[in-house]
Amino acid sequence: MTRAVAQAIIVVRKELRDAFRDRRSTYSVLLGSLMGPVLVGFILNGVADRQREVQDVTIPIVGMAHAPALVDWLRQQAGVEVVEGPSDPEAAVRAREHDVVVVIPGDYATRFRASRPVEIRVVSDGSRNVTRPRVQRVRTLLQRYNAEIAALRLVGRGISPAVVQPLQLEDLEVSSAQQRAAVLLNFIPLFIVLAAFTGGMQIATDSTAGERERGSLEPLLVNPAPRAVIASGKWLAAALSSMLSVCITTTLCVAMLRVLPLQDLGIRFRLGPGHVAGLLAGVLPLCLLAPAIQAYLATFARSFKEAQSYMGFLIMVPMLPGVLSTVYPIASQPWMYPVPMLGHHLLLADVLGGKAPGPMVFVASAGVTVFASLALVRLITALLSRERIIFGR
Amino acid sequence: MIRVERLRKHFGAVAAVDGVSFEAPDGAVTGLLGPNGAGKTTTLRMLYGLMRPDEGRIHVDDVDAVANPQAAQARLGVLPDVSGLYPRLTAREHTHYFGELQGVSGGRLRERTDALLALLDMREVADRRTAGFSHGERTKVALARALVHDPRNVLLDEPTNGLDVMSTRAVRDIIRRLRAEGRTVVFSSHVMQEVSALCDRIIVIAHGRVVAAGTPDELRAETGQESLEDAFVALAGLAPEGVE
Repeated sequence: MTRAVAQAIIVVRKELRDAFRDRRSTYSVLLGSLMGPVLVGFILNGVADRQREVQDVTIPIVGMAHAPALVDWLRQQAGVEVVEGPSDPEAAVRAREHDVVVVIPGDYATRFRASRPVEIRVVSDGSRNVTRPRVQRVRTLLQRYNAEIAALRLVGRGISPAVVQPLQLEDLEVSSAQQRAAVLLNFIPLFIVLAAFTGGMQIATDSTAGERERGSLEPLLVNPAPRAVIASGKWLAAALSSMLSVCITTTLCVAMLRVLPLQDLGIRFRLGPGHVAGLLAGVLPLCLLAPAIQAYLATFARSFKEAQSYMGFLIMVPMLPGVLSTVYPIASQPWMYPVPMLGHHLLLADVLGGKAPGPMVFVASAGVTVFASLALVRLITALLSRERIIFGR
Repeated sequence: MIRVERLRKHFGAVAAVDGVSFEAPDGAVTGLLGPNGAGKTTTLRMLYGLMRPDEGRIHVDDVDAVANPQAAQARLGVLPDVSGLYPRLTAREHTHYFGELQGVSGGRLRERTDALLALLDMREVADRRTAGFSHGERTKVALARALVHDPRNVLLDEPTNGLDVMSTRAVRDIIRRLRAEGRTVVFSSHVMQEVSALCDRIIVIAHGRVVAAGTPDELRAETGQESLEDAFVALAGLAPEGVE
């Protein structure tokens, strides 16, 4: 038994050394690990920028002097800057010099004092999609001022403002801020799961299909080591590489989320080491399964090329739940958690969403995954004992 | 010492090895001679435990190699038909990898490796990656890793195939040396000069059967042919037409 373990470690060491000497495979592991965090950074930063732009709105106003109270009120609102409007508002908007212009008429003060409606003109170009959120924000601001003044006037006449408000809309948000953020962050679990697959792929294929294609499998198997030991060593080497990749991706993704100005997205939570631990606890068992599937397929493949084409198809499988869940959010059912890949995706999304399931769920997911991995290693062992596999077909 | 009794192996309807028996004693070189496809490689693969015979018995020293292939492998040094290397590992690392898998470690592994690399005249390239090695250098690395655990029995499948003159000479020197050290050496070849230059005993195989066995002189006498090559042609022709 101890000799078997020692031999497995010898195989693991050799495969890792061999793989990381190959620049291309080292780069592919690193790039695979970095792709996720970098994309996350770009996407979230872009979304946050757009959100900030909407919040920060400059309102050109024509006739500011006619309504100093309104202008003052606007100035007090967060992110609002008021500037002098152009002389010809319609031409300026049409020429795209301004997204929106507010025009205050000269009779504002007289009509206002007489409690008669004042016509405030909001000039905008409805054909330009990009300006729409900003126009909407200006409109909302004016409506809020409108409602405030109306309420004050009613109170001044001894009428409760509630009288003119038969309906009161109240949005009751049941998801926490973290969960809403998790929807936005849904692609992070996808990248982490993908890292589990890309991280071990090189070793899983090179040490099986590659070994046979080079003609080094036959000499290797002439050594007095059980096939199970050889298969386990190759599998573990690939699994370690996969774990390395997953750790890099996870840590960098979380670090990225800490640096980015998430509060601009309405996300008010901070990720910490606890989240990293939760994510890793959820995904690391997959680092055993992914290389086991890859190594099995690659051992079975007739050539290195055939093995690589299998890998191409295989990588689509973990992407399915990730991609589907961004289109229609999956309503998670308890039975889904132990299902490899689907369950891993859900676990990671839950941890990121701030409502990690109990330890039993983690144990169940890990248990099924490890069991499946060991079953696959047994199958690889059986393949390595077949003369057709050793000597080619 | 290696003893083979009535070995049989079928691939589908084809009998690749059909009742081969021979004995390879210690301190002698035994040659398996036969045309391509005669069953030499299949016989050797059964000896080193990667193919299971349909019938027959193999003993390596006192170990039943069919029942316990791993114990037999520990007593064998093998240069298989296809001996691919790992292009990113050095010659020394190849020897270390196989040595460790055979259970050799520490100072003894370093000593054995140094001795073998020196013997094969590989000291200068020992710490280079094998990616750019010539065919001769690759064969030497494969030999070094096959012999690193100091096996009593050595199986070489067409060891000089495709080698240039200098490398061929180096391999022959190694084979003579192994014999001088009292080991059992079995090697296969389809090249007459190779066999006549090295072998104490020749087993002629054709169509999966042993058609003749003996010293080179005995074979010449048996067939009445002057040259060994003529003897070989005559012997290989003894078997019925067919499989090839």
